[in-house]
Amino acid sequence: MAVDKRAARLGVLATVSLVLIGLIGARLWFLQGVQSDEYQAQVTRSKTQTVAIPPERGRIFDAKGRVVADNRRILTITVDWGVVRKSKNRLKLFERLSGPLQTPVEDLMRRYDPCYKVPKPCKNVQQYDRLLPLPLKEDVSEDVVNFILERGEDYPGVDVTEQYKRVYPYAPLASHVVGFMGAIGKGSLQSYLDQGYKRNERVGQFGVELSLERELHGRWGKKVYEVDASGAIVRELVDQRVEPVAGFDIQLSIDLDYQQYAEQALETELRSRRNLPFDVKVADHAPYNGLDRKTNFKTRIYRHKLPDGNTVDYPEYVQHKAPAGSIVVMNHLNGQIIAMASYPTFDNRWMESGISGDKYKQLFPSTKADGTPIDPDDSILVNRAVQGNYNLGSTIKPLVAWAAMHAGVLNPNVSFDDQGIYHLRNIDQNLCQNKGGQVRCDFKNATNKLGVPSKYGPVTLSDALAVSSDAYFYKIGEDIWEASENLPGQQDQENPENLLKTNLQRFGLGLKTGIQLPFEWKGRVPDDQVKRDLVNKHVLLPGETPRLLVGDEVQVAIGQGLMAATPIQMADAYATLANHGLLLQPSIVKNIYAPLTPDAGPAVADLTRATVVKSYEQPIVRDALEMPAEQYDPIIAGLRRVIRGRGVDYQIYHATTGETLFKNFPVNIAGKTGTAQGAGNLPWNDSSAFGAFSLDDAVPYTMYAYLEKSGYGSKAAAPVVKCMFLALTDKVTLDPVLVSDQLDLDSTVAAPPKQLADTGCLTGTSGIKD
Amino acid sequence: MPVTLLQRRPDSGLGNIRSSPSAPSRNIDWVLMVAQGALCILGLAVIYSASHSKVPTGGSTPYGYFFVTRQEVFLIAAALAMILVMSMDYDWWKDRSRFLYGVTIMLLVLVILLGAVSGGANLSFDLGPLNLQPAEFAKFTVLLTVAAYLGDDRSDELPYHRFIIGLMLVGAPAALIIIQPDLGSASVLITMAMGIMLVAGAKLRYMLMITVLSIATVGAAVVTKLVKQYQLLRFTAFFNQSSNDPKLRDFVYQGKHALQAIATGGITGKGWLQGPITNAQHDIPVQWADFPFSAVGEQFGLIGCGVVVGLYALMLLRIWRIAHLSRDLLGTYICVGVFTMLLWQVFQNVAMTIGIMPITGLPLPFISYGGSGVVTFFAMLGLVQNVHMRRYR
Repeated sequence: MAVDKRAARLGVLATVSLVLIGLIGARLWFLQGVQSDEYQAQVTRSKTQTVAIPPERGRIFDAKGRVVADNRRILTITVDWGVVRKSKNRLKLFERLSGPLQTPVEDLMRRYDPCYKVPKPCKNVQQYDRLLPLPLKEDVSEDVVNFILERGEDYPGVDVTEQYKRVYPYAPLASHVVGFMGAIGKGSLQSYLDQGYKRNERVGQFGVELSLERELHGRWGKKVYEVDASGAIVRELVDQRVEPVAGFDIQLSIDLDYQQYAEQALETELRSRRNLPFDVKVADHAPYNGLDRKTNFKTRIYRHKLPDGNTVDYPEYVQHKAPAGSIVVMNHLNGQIIAMASYPTFDNRWMESGISGDKYKQLFPSTKADGTPIDPDDSILVNRAVQGNYNLGSTIKPLVAWAAMHAGVLNPNVSFDDQGIYHLRNIDQNLCQNKGGQVRCDFKNATNKLGVPSKYGPVTLSDALAVSSDAYFYKIGEDIWEASENLPGQQDQENPENLLKTNLQRFGLGLKTGIQLPFEWKGRVPDDQVKRDLVNKHVLLPGETPRLLVGDEVQVAIGQGLMAATPIQMADAYATLANHGLLLQPSIVKNIYAPLTPDAGPAVADLTRATVVKSYEQPIVRDALEMPAEQYDPIIAGLRRVIRGRGVDYQIYHATTGETLFKNFPVNIAGKTGTAQGAGNLPWNDSSAFGAFSLDDAVPYTMYAYLEKSGYGSKAAAPVVKCMFLALTDKVTLDPVLVSDQLDLDSTVAAPPKQLADTGCLTGTSGIKD
Repeated sequence: MPVTLLQRRPDSGLGNIRSSPSAPSRNIDWVLMVAQGALCILGLAVIYSASHSKVPTGGSTPYGYFFVTRQEVFLIAAALAMILVMSMDYDWWKDRSRFLYGVTIMLLVLVILLGAVSGGANLSFDLGPLNLQPAEFAKFTVLLTVAAYLGDDRSDELPYHRFIIGLMLVGAPAALIIIQPDLGSASVLITMAMGIMLVAGAKLRYMLMITVLSIATVGAAVVTKLVKQYQLLRFTAFFNQSSNDPKLRDFVYQGKHALQAIATGGITGKGWLQGPITNAQHDIPVQWADFPFSAVGEQFGLIGCGVVVGLYALMLLRIWRIAHLSRDLLGTYICVGVFTMLLWQVFQNVAMTIGIMPITGLPLPFISYGGSGVVTFFAMLGLVQNVHMRRYR
């Protein structure tokens, strides 16, 4: 009995074990027999997920270590792509997020689908990387992040990532040089992707940010996670981790102290020119009313003679437009650019501020309200110092003088009798206009106060430079043209050698300087081929002869006509005169440092702890120009006389263009003014140019300023250069360079106006310390 | 059914005069012994395959033969322990059960005190190369003690007072083990007690009482934070397979990979050392101790799993048979205790590997790497063999 019960109970145990073993058997059969393939597929599918780690972009410093482009860590709200794959879920989630993120639902939807509610045909392409979570809103506050993360169950798949945002602590100073960032354009996307960039990265779009993008960018790192079949991250595969490499830090040669002063001086001068009429006496043209002397004043006019002989009357008070300008300050011993200002300028923080497209168009208009392109005079996102396409006026004369002497057609000590008009020799005189022909054979000096061409009498090279005798240089132009024509075998050439061009190119004209700034224009020194291209492209009138004529060449010799260059080229060319013949490679970069230079204080890098990777402080000589003393000295003497006097006595005293402005100037400099004629040769379209360099090796600077439509060279460009030299020699007080206030997002201008604190240096001798 | 080949013929030589057919040494259950040995040898192969290519955390060279060599040493030690247990009559062991029980309780208290001093969970005494786990030792002594106590009474029903005392005999060490905390080992003790009491004639409500009590104890341990968070996580993970909590992820992931390893093995398996999951670097942490069955499944397939489960079933069958053959209740109860412990541990480990039970740290007997576990099970099977050997005495 007892034994039977025990046996029965043992049976219970046996049954239990049979059930359990059966359970295991059944499950094993199901797993290994039935579901095996399914699991195999799952194993194959579930592998790894790679999360990219962004590199910290290199920072940009000025010459004294002030951080002009910095990085700030920002919080970005992201969402997992998988969570919002279904449009219904997406809309619901984004409706809930719209409030906390303070972003319209449409904008969020367009992050996922750029064509959401966009009228067809929509050609927008997805700009976000599918391998990274979809960013919904950048730079959100901690409060927003906390709000969302605390309500995690309401916001599935929503997460926060840390990213870098570019900040410009000293903006808008040097915006054209530093540049800005933006989304990768459609055209360059593939090239960037090939270099390891991510689709939604921001890359340099302008300035050094663009030209040194490769150095600044750094290299992406990655974390590889093992994920399960549902895509959820299980753990990191540490051995596959790649740490990101930060970009190199860049030190500009720009010194913000002088940069700020240059920008202030340039803008102040341009603004003041707008309040002034052009510098031509007009009284002679006014009708005389003997009965009412007051009316005489009111009816004064400027009578302009058109090429066809008709006259047009303009009111006396047409003001200068003075819309734009630039100045380059270069150390002519090593090629470093100390300051480079371009006006109109902008605040590069706008590009990082997340403003709407409409707001952007308002700040940086590309078209007017009626859809036509804006006046190029007003374009902002152009660095005129390297992109300016300028007639040089008389500032080319010292370069032409050297070219002629080097070509052997000019003796600087032989006088030429300047009677105000130069008449071409190398032409069939019957074709000349004064003989009833079509060809212009007479080229006149600039008119004096009486409205007739100035006559300087017998002038040597030094005299001609001092008073800017056009006739002298017309003659040089023709002489050098003649020499080119007489070169052996010239007639057979498709594009015969032009001695003026060949020698001007020695100064770097017509060639890119290679400065580390994007969109540099290489300038234009005309020859037959250049003119032919211009005619073919209909830039010139169809009737123009498709080869360079002597009439074109004499115009080039005084910096008019087809000749054009950029301010950086001219600064470099003048620097060649300043350092006695070395054409240097201008550089906007001083040093490239190893990544992650520490800070010494707010927005100031500690350069004592920085490691130089590459330095640009040593001069790079592009060419050594032969400048024997008998050629060099007359040029320098002429350029010194421009500043110091004395002019030329012929009938009356002809002052040099600069001697009034630079009276008692404390710095030993030489320079040349230039006035480039503008549209219709109307005086208010004259652009003002001035190039100058110091003869004192303690102040080894060369400058070139160009102020568009601002009047005579001595009236607009020269005062800016003058102030700049005073600043560099510590003769005026500079405003301290301060970290900027926050960008005013309600502002309607690209950059707030700047003003020189003491404008005295622009006009007279006041404003100079002591 | 003794294997005839291994048995001396009754009339061959002098040995027969000295030893009768009923002599203990001539009544070893060789089927049970061979099944046990086969599992151990298979275990060595599995441990090698699951550990040889893996690299220790922070190290650079793979483990290679490290774990197999140690396991071989454990097996030799375990075999010696088993011979020792078999050499003395189980009555002899019964007489010393009180002493052993007392020592066990002392060791359990001591390990808790040491743990409290060192400020961490302390499951073992660290004796140089050996880790002595009192919880494993307790399985053997508690089995002996409970079987001895209940075996004293030949009554068919289990009276209430004997049930309570039996319960206390198991409850005291089980509670101490829960405090350690080692829920897995405690569950083995409790299962063993339930098995023995069931056969001893406990009423259904007694069984329910044990269940409620053990759940209450575990609950109390959790509430008082005696059970560490990481132990609970494994449990929580089982019910939250799709959770995003990174703390649960590791366990969910360990389980998922084990499941994938088994399932992708298919019918015939991928072959020894040919399993991409088993031989991968990180897929299943400490697979050689926690998930050896997944290595069997991936490399040897359904057939291999069938053989392993079959060998366990054969062992259970033989133990169950010995429980029947036992000359006294003590022997029956010993066999029943070993039966339930083996069944529970095998089921728990295999079931967690194939995803139908939560993950616990219980090793797969004879196959999992681990010295204490092997020695304990060998010793307990020594008791079972003891019962079989001395059934005619």
